[in-house]
Amino acid sequence: MSGIPQTSASLLLRIKDPADRDAWEEFVAIYRPVIYRMARRRGLQDADAQDLVQRVLGSVASSVEEWEHDPRRARFSTWLTTVTRNAIIDTLRRIKPDQNAGGGTSMLQQLQRLPQTQESAAAEIQREYRRQLFRRAAAGIRDEFEEATWNAFWMTTVDNVAVTDAASQLSRTVGSVYAARSRVMRRLKEKVSQLEATDG
Amino acid sequence: MSVESQHYKSEVIEQFLCSDLPESELRDVEQHIETCDSCRAALHETAADLGSWDEASEFLTSDEHDLALKNDDALVATDIRTTTDPSGATDYGTDVRQVIAWLAPTDDPAMLGRIGTYEIAGVVGAGGMGVVVKGFDRALNRYVAIKTLAPHLASSGAARRRFAREAQAAAAVVHDNVVAIHGVSEANGLPYLVMPYLRGTSLQKRIDGNGSLNVSEVLRIAMQTARGLAAAHDQGLVHRDIKPANILMDGTTERVLLTDFGLARAADDASLTHSGVIAGTPYFMSPEQAEGSSIDHRSDLFSLGSVMYAMCMGRPPFRAETSWGILRKVSDSTPTAIRELNSEIPGWLAGIISRLHEKSADDRFQSADEVADLLEQCLAHVQQPTVHALPDAAMVLAHHERGPSWFGSKLAVAGGGVLCCLGLAIWMGTQAGLFDASVPEVVAPSSPPEPTGTFAELPAWDDGTDELFELQKAIEKLDRDTADFWK
Repeated sequence: MSGIPQTSASLLLRIKDPADRDAWEEFVAIYRPVIYRMARRRGLQDADAQDLVQRVLGSVASSVEEWEHDPRRARFSTWLTTVTRNAIIDTLRRIKPDQNAGGGTSMLQQLQRLPQTQESAAAEIQREYRRQLFRRAAAGIRDEFEEATWNAFWMTTVDNVAVTDAASQLSRTVGSVYAARSRVMRRLKEKVSQLEATDG
Repeated sequence: MSVESQHYKSEVIEQFLCSDLPESELRDVEQHIETCDSCRAALHETAADLGSWDEASEFLTSDEHDLALKNDDALVATDIRTTTDPSGATDYGTDVRQVIAWLAPTDDPAMLGRIGTYEIAGVVGAGGMGVVVKGFDRALNRYVAIKTLAPHLASSGAARRRFAREAQAAAAVVHDNVVAIHGVSEANGLPYLVMPYLRGTSLQKRIDGNGSLNVSEVLRIAMQTARGLAAAHDQGLVHRDIKPANILMDGTTERVLLTDFGLARAADDASLTHSGVIAGTPYFMSPEQAEGSSIDHRSDLFSLGSVMYAMCMGRPPFRAETSWGILRKVSDSTPTAIRELNSEIPGWLAGIISRLHEKSADDRFQSADEVADLLEQCLAHVQQPTVHALPDAAMVLAHHERGPSWFGSKLAVAGGGVLCCLGLAIWMGTQAGLFDASVPEVVAPSSPPEPTGTFAELPAWDDGTDELFELQKAIEKLDRDTADFWK
């Protein structure tokens, strides 16, 4: 269940090498949505959130060389949390109040939405990381299944359609919908573990 | 086995999941779970623990916080340094197919077809205005790039005139840093122009591939671009579409070539833009272009500033979701300070870019030549700091440039830190013998000053350029070393 701390050390060791572009891209692919969502949840608009992502990744790029992977010292997620949190606060400080008028959220309220403690923000990053893990896994295995099989899974698991309704919509038996979605889920879980391991 | 009153063993369920049973048994199990709640539950939990099901359900559901990249999720993997063109979604496939269909037949099986006397080997690229193909010139035994007007535009008189103007304008500019035009012609009603086929790459691809460039690369490329611009400006032409994709890098030499005078036109030729069509890539537009006001050669200098910014940062200075948003930012906002995100960029270079980025053309540098000369001197300084001093003009700009954010935020809060840094500054200044008697007035105010102001107020450093940067580096290092205290 724990995404970042234990597994990402080797990816992090790789992104410290400026020549290892693949590692950096991989890192960005994983963390860009993570940071973006955190920013959006705090009420930042798309453009500001994108900007924030840029700033955080910029900070990471410029300071990751100095980050030492040492189990006794700060974990990467803690460090990333600090960088992200500071960037969010910094960005919120810059946004002119009138830009938020439409949203009806005052700056104060936005700031109050910031995680109060390091732990909760770290947990949030963890959770967002895991969200991306599932999404990448789903995208990765999509082509392994026939359309109807995939839909059986998606409708009943993600879209909360009742199995019987899904079966009639897909013109399949209830039993086959159960079978289909379980097979997709099994494969999804495998893929998630696999990605988790390779992120590391 | 398939009796409803009994349930399958967990091994069978597992085999069923993996489709690791004979066809007939698979069918039996499937039929059984049609009605058996208990075996359904067993299947559910064998497939994955309940936590994973919940996670799948929650995490795969999209919500309003999703990154707006629905169409090209695969592209999420591309680097932050890659710029996304809002018009990038446009499909030029039709144009390309039409151009290929338009080619005259050829006898050479290796070729796609013929345009005039040129054998066409392939399609190089396509854009808003036209399609570029690679041709072979038999007479001169060389490859050429042939740019044709996009077929859907060829029927429009305005577009044909604009295309002809592009050719005339570009052909009139002869310079080492401008792509030459071999000829202009028309075939089957489609106008085309012939240019040298260049190996190498565009600055856009370079930035996409490498991210930000180092300082001497930035200076070298910007300087040559400015030289090419100066040549065009001398002919009374404004390029109007200076952007990384139009700056080509010769593969073998270090030459930079300016191309695509797609929107170039004599400065006094008023027309198209007022039709409301956004001409040019908004990312690199000047405020006067964005506002649709009249422009002169200094508009290109603003765009050059944006190109330099993109080289320093790996992304364009003004970004938004929509073209309209970009235009608003171009005219209203100041881009994020360069040194805030990339502290490797010296203050004077950031200062030069800020000067190019002045919203009012009168506040910018006034000619491309002036910019090119300044950049050339700066480049000499960067390459041989001991031989060539940084030009005064750059020094002055460095002093006006905002420092990195820690000056503004962290240290402003931590007054002690400011004093500590000032102490170091005084100490280093004394060591270097740079401060005169008036200095204490500047560096020892009664209350901690606005730190950015401190640098701006430092007395003229006649020959102290390098010391200034040493000092700045030392302070930055100090900041890094003490960063933990502020956390």
